[in-house]
Amino acid sequence: MVSQATVKAEKYNGLKKQDTINMIRSALPIIGLVAVFIIFNILTKGNMWTSRKLILNQVYVVLISTVGVFFIMTMGGLDFSQGSILGIASIVVCKLSGVNMFLAVVGGVLAGAAIGAFNGFFYVNRKIKSFIVTICTMFLFRGFIKYMASNSPVAASMKVYDYDTTPVKLGITVAVIGISFVVFRFTKFGINLKAIGAGEKATKFAGVKTDKVKFLIYVLAGAITGLAAFVNIVKNGSATANAGNQLETQILIALVLGGMPISGGAKVRFENIIVGSLLYIVLNNGLIMMGLTTQAMQLIQGIIFLIFVAVFADRESLSVIK
Amino acid sequence: MSEIRLEVKDISKHFGITKALVDVSFNILKGEIHALIGENGSGKSTLTNSLAGIYQKDSGTFILDGKEVNPQNQVDANNEGISIIVQELGTLDGLTVAENIFLGHEDAFVKFGIKNTNAMNRKATELLKQYGFERIKAADMIENYNFEDRKLVEIVKATYFKPKILVIDETTTALSGEGREELYKQMKRIKEEGNTVIFISHDLPEVLRMSDSITVLRDGIYIDTVKSSEIDEDGLKKLMVGREVSGKYYRADYDEEVSDEVVMKVENVSVPGIISDISFELHKGEILGFGGLSESGMHEVGKACFGASFDREGSVTFSDGTKINDIPTAIAHSIAYTSKDRDNESLVMNQSIRDNICLPSLNELSNKLRLLNDKKLKNFADKFAKTMSTKMQSVDQFVSNLSGGNKQKVVLARWIGKDSDILVLDSPTRGIDVKVKQDIYQLMDNMRKEGKSIIMISEELMELIGMCDRIIILKDGRINGELKRDRNMDENVLIAKMV
Repeated sequence: MVSQATVKAEKYNGLKKQDTINMIRSALPIIGLVAVFIIFNILTKGNMWTSRKLILNQVYVVLISTVGVFFIMTMGGLDFSQGSILGIASIVVCKLSGVNMFLAVVGGVLAGAAIGAFNGFFYVNRKIKSFIVTICTMFLFRGFIKYMASNSPVAASMKVYDYDTTPVKLGITVAVIGISFVVFRFTKFGINLKAIGAGEKATKFAGVKTDKVKFLIYVLAGAITGLAAFVNIVKNGSATANAGNQLETQILIALVLGGMPISGGAKVRFENIIVGSLLYIVLNNGLIMMGLTTQAMQLIQGIIFLIFVAVFADRESLSVIK
Repeated sequence: MSEIRLEVKDISKHFGITKALVDVSFNILKGEIHALIGENGSGKSTLTNSLAGIYQKDSGTFILDGKEVNPQNQVDANNEGISIIVQELGTLDGLTVAENIFLGHEDAFVKFGIKNTNAMNRKATELLKQYGFERIKAADMIENYNFEDRKLVEIVKATYFKPKILVIDETTTALSGEGREELYKQMKRIKEEGNTVIFISHDLPEVLRMSDSITVLRDGIYIDTVKSSEIDEDGLKKLMVGREVSGKYYRADYDEEVSDEVVMKVENVSVPGIISDISFELHKGEILGFGGLSESGMHEVGKACFGASFDREGSVTFSDGTKINDIPTAIAHSIAYTSKDRDNESLVMNQSIRDNICLPSLNELSNKLRLLNDKKLKNFADKFAKTMSTKMQSVDQFVSNLSGGNKQKVVLARWIGKDSDILVLDSPTRGIDVKVKQDIYQLMDNMRKEGKSIIMISEELMELIGMCDRIIILKDGRINGELKRDRNMDENVLIAKMV
């Protein structure tokens, strides 16, 4: 027979062990980022470091639109329509850029928000699972984009190139991340969001207007991606029929690489966004610089993605993806 | 002395870091009803689930009739002669009654790879008739029956093959009087046939009445095995808690006048198919009880008062004239609610104690810029978790790791933090051990004295009688009587109005 004191002591030691495991787990993406960066620099003989500006240039759009999806995934939803949102918003930005640049930004954001509201309506009011709704809207709006931009890309006014500077692009990115961080960490909205991801019914019974929050999140995510569309057009000058293609997968991979639990909830961390997006872009560019073919790249990406999901998936709550 | 049926030898089991059982050893005899008791988290269910193949033990042996058994799953256990009726619903939707009864034993009805449904249904009908449950039809889908009837099907499923050991885990609390009597009958029958029943229950009078011997566990450790005839309720409590439990349990006053001031008025409230035409007034400083069978609709009354009912008709009015139609309005008017379904409706399980306690109070906790401060949230949660003396490492711990009693303390801490004036408590002591129960009764009494009003919905008649100023009894969704606090009231008066 063991005394109760020993049992308690063992429990305490066990808890400490669990803490260490959790700490290693949460540090893994950062260790991964540093490791991948060093490895590719060695393999490319420092080429990666010299072309850091080019690499950074690719981060902005993914990083900004990842913020919105991060919110959605925190409350346990998914969004596959981000690429189509970026495409539509890019076309709107191009069309309006001739009139007025400010109007172009607002137009892009509103277009994104409108599609987000469309998603939110079917998800919240019609009670359809979010991944089904957003897969539908992904195809629906991809159709629109093809219709608008198939014959020739929609070109923006030449004035957009005035904004193709690091301060503008980095400024927008930092602003989006900064504001989102404060909202996520230090407001009622952020705490409610995590609570919905961890247990929607109980959150509702604690007085949170869960339906309203869920709807707003989709609108917000759309609006943020609408803003990313402006950065996209500033960078590219026109929107092709493939604008934003596969952005949704890139976002998902970035978040998972960053250590985001797929089912959302209380264990999500804001760092997931930044570390994940950087890790994804570094990995991608590294593989390109190594001279790998697209096929080989997708293969390697798939393997890495699978490993990360296996490490981070919170299996107990995986069944609750909304 | 009778022969030994089951030898439990040095059984240990842990879940992650929690030691659920530590070297538990004792013997269970043939032809006895052996009760297993202990506070929440003492390891009762873990032990029986390991025996029945639901969990795998870490170490130790079960010796059944001199032979070691180590079932890998429930069907395995059945073949060894061990069956179990679990606390939760143990029947599967989408299958017929007959298919549920013979789940895992379909082979008996299979010829050349084809299942003979008719033979199975015939056999099931025969069994149901033997047990006297003719109204349950073997070929019907199980989901056409209510919780109670499904439990009866489980009784058939677990006993028809005359198991050597039947485990009944906390089943009686889910059953009404009739279902309980049926279960008792089966327990006695199994005992008379020379087989053994292991019986887990929180209801100590029931344990003393039904069992021959009682084994007590505490924190996963074996404490003692006693003869039921040689011990009383207080003795059991002492063994369970490890110290003397003081005699004062419920509130002691009887002739206090309740204020005339009405704080909430419920008029003609109906929820289609569940409750109809419920009207009552709640007074300041009153504890108003609701009793009835679990299907009587009394649980819906609590939801209706909190604006959480779907499709409600009629009105719930707060003292200032506001109509309570949704949860945010209810909370804004200082109404609190704890659900019977604690894990799904009261607590965000995979979330910290901190966020669970702060959730309804976030508006009050934010500053002028509507921003929240981590430290302030932590202090707030810590203060009220400690007021409730919640057992925890820190408020950052997730509630999913807490025991039932501590979870309920977190729920109550949330509403004390919100300083709610009207508390709707649905089954506040459900599945909670003696000591925490006592704390909760004490808390309710203090709140009442502070002028807060409480609606207490409970299936436990003794606590209704012990705590309430008034008790309203529901039957088939309608009010079927109201009783005033009286020291001479006994259970039978209430039961007469319930059935």
